[in-house]
Amino acid sequence: MTPHTASGIEIVHLSHAFAGRKVLDDISLSIEEGTSVALLGPNGAGKTTLMNILCALIKPDSGRVMLDGVDLARQPDAIRRRIGAVFQDPSLDTRLTAWENLEFNGLVYGLPRRERARRIDEVLDLVELGDWRDEIVKGFSGGMKRRLEIARALMHQPRILFLDEPTVGLDPQTRARIWSYLEHLRTHRNLTQLITTHYVEEVAGHDRICIIDRGKLLANGTPEELRARHGTSMIRCMPRDAETEAALRAAYPDIRSLAGGRLGVALASPDMLDAFLATYGTRLRQIQIDEPSLETVFLSLTGRELRDRAPGDDTAAGVGEQAI
Amino acid sequence: MRTPRPIRQSRRWLPGAINILVVAALLFAATFLPPDTSLGEVRRSGTLRVCVPQSAAPLVTGDPAAPGYDIEVLQHLAERLGLRLALNINPAIGRDFNPRNWRLTRAQCAVIAGGVVDSAATRGFLQLLPTGVETGWAAIVPPGEALGPVGTAAVLPGSQGLDRLALSGFLRENGIRTLAARAPGDLVAALETGAADIAISDRFTIATLALDEDARILWLPEPPFARFPLAFGLWKGDLTLRRALRDAMDAMGRDGTLASIAERYGLDGGPEDAADIGELFG
Amino acid sequence: MNDLIPLARGLYGIWLREVMRAVRDRGQLIGGVSRPLIWLLILGIGLNPYFRGEVYGEVRFVIPYTYLQFLFPAVIVLNIMYTSILFAVSVIWDREFGFLRAILVSPVPRGLILLGKILGGSTIATAHGGLVLILARFADITLSWSQVGLALLLMFGLSFGLTSFGVILAARVRSFEGFGVFSNTIILPLYFCSSSIFPLDPSLTRAQTAALYPEWLVFLVEINPITYAVDALRGVLINFHQFDPRLGPAVIIGLAVAFFFIAWLDFRRR
Ligand SMILES: Nc1ncnc2c1ncn2[C@@H]1O[C@H](COP(=O)(O)OP(=O)(O)O)[C@@H](O)[C@H]1O
Ligand SMILES: [Mg+2]
Repeated sequence: MTPHTASGIEIVHLSHAFAGRKVLDDISLSIEEGTSVALLGPNGAGKTTLMNILCALIKPDSGRVMLDGVDLARQPDAIRRRIGAVFQDPSLDTRLTAWENLEFNGLVYGLPRRERARRIDEVLDLVELGDWRDEIVKGFSGGMKRRLEIARALMHQPRILFLDEPTVGLDPQTRARIWSYLEHLRTHRNLTQLITTHYVEEVAGHDRICIIDRGKLLANGTPEELRARHGTSMIRCMPRDAETEAALRAAYPDIRSLAGGRLGVALASPDMLDAFLATYGTRLRQIQIDEPSLETVFLSLTGRELRDRAPGDDTAAGVGEQAI
Repeated sequence: MRTPRPIRQSRRWLPGAINILVVAALLFAATFLPPDTSLGEVRRSGTLRVCVPQSAAPLVTGDPAAPGYDIEVLQHLAERLGLRLALNINPAIGRDFNPRNWRLTRAQCAVIAGGVVDSAATRGFLQLLPTGVETGWAAIVPPGEALGPVGTAAVLPGSQGLDRLALSGFLRENGIRTLAARAPGDLVAALETGAADIAISDRFTIATLALDEDARILWLPEPPFARFPLAFGLWKGDLTLRRALRDAMDAMGRDGTLASIAERYGLDGGPEDAADIGELFG
Repeated sequence: MNDLIPLARGLYGIWLREVMRAVRDRGQLIGGVSRPLIWLLILGIGLNPYFRGEVYGEVRFVIPYTYLQFLFPAVIVLNIMYTSILFAVSVIWDREFGFLRAILVSPVPRGLILLGKILGGSTIATAHGGLVLILARFADITLSWSQVGLALLLMFGLSFGLTSFGVILAARVRSFEGFGVFSNTIILPLYFCSSSIFPLDPSLTRAQTAALYPEWLVFLVEINPITYAVDALRGVLINFHQFDPRLGPAVIIGLAVAFFFIAWLDFRRR
């Protein structure tokens, strides 16, 4: 028997490659029961691959996964009952009604009839789709479908919930609603949650944040820890001409090239900002000064911006950019 | 975005059930389409032409007062379909074993009657409408005490074309002597004089005999002996005509017409089933 | 025992979804109806005069049935073939639209998922074959309940095998586009080479048959497993066999077992 050392999620030295290309590179991560962890990473970072491995859909090349104290490789069937998953891509049968989708799920998880009826009502109420139970899913909006998928993942009362980019492509109100359901579950059900996203503004409310890029786990900690450990103030600027750019690159050897011809300079101290502005303040077309935030954490760890922004936040981000 | 089509949960199966019902109804309706013109042609001419042999008692007798079972049934059928019955008497039928030599064609008749046996071989050439009577070897067992071992059997092969070789072979194998009868009366005589313990002939021949009330008539059991249901033969592919005749025939069966005709020709009831060979031959 | 009930529920759920989907799918139902109507009504009636008797003792094909009766069991098989093999579309649908993952993360074992799906597909195909039985009256075939029962059993066996075959195809086809080709490259050739619309006369010896038809055609008919499925159904429905009566059920069972096994191997690998 596998010793029940710890519940929650335990990932040890996990690696996986597709056709010789490493997609997950020696990931080790331990998540305590009842906590929620956001896995933050740009597209192609390997988040979905990790999720698929955790859901036992893919066998990893090497490494070990323990879910709720059970070894995934040894007893996948025992684990399936305890996990719920919301996939990045829709996975509902759009030709059936909401109720039928849930009924199907209840059957597949072996729930007795009365139990199914009770839980269907319960989860539909939770995601506020009670009025839509007998409608064909094809006519649902993207947000409704996603909420229904969350309801489905909760129906068999899993101990661990995986959500792969649950809010991608949704409008801000729907996203807020989804986060509030998840928050509710976390506080009321002691549900362990692993949620991937590439929207940096969505991760702050989680117990822990993991940053993943190119298959490597770069950081892991509470939001405060990450800010303290990796967060630096940043100057993001766009030089007016090539001459300025050359000068900047010479002055700051660890300067980073960002998208759109912009440059990023990490600020070691407040004095540095003054010096920077004094020298280059007039030779820039655009400048933005970021306080230490998760975004700057990500930037300083990966050398890249999280370019995709959540729809609806574009304007908010735009305001932050101060044109000089 | 399309507005969702509502389905009440309690009536979840309804749309599907309606679809299935519509489909089934459609198929059922299609079965009422006439598949050919055979019935239409017969109706247009107003005559049901039937090819029959000169004589095949009791199915066809040639006696206007009692023309035979098949003829009377056909008369009723024709009447029910509003047709005139026209007999085309063909002496070749029954005389020659190969039906090809009878030279029956679609132009001569729509139905062949008077002893068409319902077998796979016949079905290869005709479609059949069973008439409810069957033939085969049958035995007359004289009344009285239980039958001892049979020493002699009186046999009249009859005109039915039953397998004589199988019968004689069987009798020989079981050490039973055969007494050949020339006429139906010889069978009765052989039993009465005690010249034979048992008399064997085809079922129709036996039906014409005047027998002792207590005499038992038994089918020779199958296997090894076969029994042959008789039928009217229709040309292959004449589906509508066959269907009309079959429906009329079914109606005659239901209202008792068929039974009363059969009774008149001694074809009702019929021989009993022997339990096995042993019961018959001791 | 307590472990089996939840598994049975899972199997039932997967089966039910297929059936539910199929009865709501008007397009598929229309196909299931129009095919037998076209084949039986149009082709059957159209060719009937060419097979009818003109002179007693002379028929082109000595089969103890009318052409419509002869064609009838083959049309059932045709309907089953279409529904079963095109069941692959449902499998591809599940895969392309992500529903398969929702099933795969559930505790239902892989083999049972496959079985549930194939049973669902077989049920639909059997129903489509069964629909044709409504036309029995038209083809002048009278059926007893035991004949209907036995026929449905054979149909289910055949559906199971062919549905598994559809699943195997689905595993090898990337998208829906490739699928239209199937009906032309697989279903119709198999159907036409199954002694379905012209008989290989059983009263002829093999040499005589070969004299009537070119050797290669006889060969194609004889190696086609569908031939024996049609033969088995003819045996039940019109009591007519061209081949050894044991051959039909044996081939049907063989197909079901072999194709399910291959489908299972495929499914386990993914
Ligand atoms: N089935 C697959 N076969 C080959 N490469 C794959 C497959 N799935 C994902 N990849 C590759 O693995 C990398 C990580 O993908 P993914 O896990 O989907 O990232 P994310 O979910 O973080 O966007 C990508 O470069 C992607 O192209
Ligand atoms: Mg992804």
